[in-house]
Amino acid sequence: MVIAANVTKYFGGFLALKDVSFEINKGEIVGCLGQNGAGKTTLMRILTSYLPATSGKVTIGGKDVSKDSLAVRKKIGYLPETPPLYPNMKVHDYLKFSAELKDVPRKNQNKQIDKVLEECNITDISDKTIRVLSKGYRQRVGIAQAIINDPDLLILDEPTSGLDPIQILQVRRLIKSLRHERTVILSTHILSEIEQIAQRVLILRAGKVIVDETLEALLNSNPLLRDRGVDSELLQKKTEIGFRNEGKGFVLTLEEVFVRLHSQGLKEKDE
Amino acid sequence: MNKIFSIAKKELAGLFKSPMAYILLILTISIFNIFFFMIINENREASLRDVFKVMEFLFLFIIPILTMKIFSEEKSTGTMEFLMTTPTTNTAIVLGKYLGSLIFVSLIVGMTIVYYFIIEYFGQPDRWEIFAGYIGVWLEGAFFVSVGMLTSSWTRNQILSAISSYVILFLLYFSISFVKYFEGPVEKFIQYVSTMSHSENFGIGLITIGDIVYYLSGIFICIILTRLSIENRLNS
Repeated sequence: MVIAANVTKYFGGFLALKDVSFEINKGEIVGCLGQNGAGKTTLMRILTSYLPATSGKVTIGGKDVSKDSLAVRKKIGYLPETPPLYPNMKVHDYLKFSAELKDVPRKNQNKQIDKVLEECNITDISDKTIRVLSKGYRQRVGIAQAIINDPDLLILDEPTSGLDPIQILQVRRLIKSLRHERTVILSTHILSEIEQIAQRVLILRAGKVIVDETLEALLNSNPLLRDRGVDSELLQKKTEIGFRNEGKGFVLTLEEVFVRLHSQGLKEKDE
Repeated sequence: MNKIFSIAKKELAGLFKSPMAYILLILTISIFNIFFFMIINENREASLRDVFKVMEFLFLFIIPILTMKIFSEEKSTGTMEFLMTTPTTNTAIVLGKYLGSLIFVSLIVGMTIVYYFIIEYFGQPDRWEIFAGYIGVWLEGAFFVSVGMLTSSWTRNQILSAISSYVILFLLYFSISFVKYFEGPVEKFIQYVSTMSHSENFGIGLITIGDIVYYLSGIFICIILTRLSIENRLNS
């Protein structure tokens, strides 16, 4: 579904992405993880054809993102980090405008709008002006916009950023419900989000992909984690306060994996 | 084509959902009305020639306020990313936005047609001269909108966008005043570039191909430059 081959992006002299390569199959839910500034948003923007890569190639559904961008954009739904909403518009009007721009056939537009309103559980606010909505509702309207054209690929850039815990749970539940038969790429720096939603993890650091594995493989068999026994004392303490112990010994959380990978990277850099 | 109209419709709806459109309309028409009655009272002739001059001069101040948010606002709120990741060509985005503001300016011009009926009622105006004058004012407004849209595509700051428009429009409008300091090709160039040298012809009932080409090519160049400007986002 998505193939990125040696994608590099410079902003002037600043290297934002370096030789990023990966393949994502149809129906996969991939979490793109990294600290702020790791290159996640740049990668998302290249995938959506908003930004051109300096070098390398990205194809989505067999079509080149830079050469055939209009065809690619028909296949994707994208929620940028800041939901792209017009505060003066009513929710229904905004979705109608999105449907028109996303080539939803005129006769299906109202049906499609009703469908996404229901999927995102925002039917009750469809007549409200976006300006008066809470952040959680705005995020859901942003997601509704992203799925209005029933895309094959859904790209969500930090979809729960800035939400309160209840809104986070609601949005996560919504994303989980949307993943059927869709390929989803989700960027976040909230690690538990990936654990709960994704099947596969791409970890970016300083513009490079440092991990590309299934979530299961990353949590259980990454070489960096072979020393998990070393921290048994710490893990024991963590277990006491509710961390997971899955019967096969202690299982590190994704947070711990990430911190280790990151600190190892910094060590390598120092050396 | 449908997308151009969708974007234009959204632009217009956006204008009328904020107080800006009403303030601009009321302010503009009030000022036009005051000048219309002052000029008619002073000149005592059934002509709108001087009224057109005032309208064009006021467009210099009004249009940058109207156009400053066209792209600047989309950039600052992040909706530019939404527009440009939908299957919509950049040309359609630019044309849709241009059309939205052009309809608004056309509405302002259209509301002044009542002046024609007033002078027609009281006198015997030269209908062709008035028709040509309206074409000239509308073309001038259309050109100013394209300049305003271009400067709006340069920055996410609406004030900067308006200031850039003022600088360009004032240079275009008043450049004729500096023509006496130059001679030869520079003099001819300044004369050609100045909007005043072209709008005056329309005011006296003269519609020439050269003047129409001047405005249409100005609009075309601004639209192309706006397209290039939005394409070059974050690309450096």
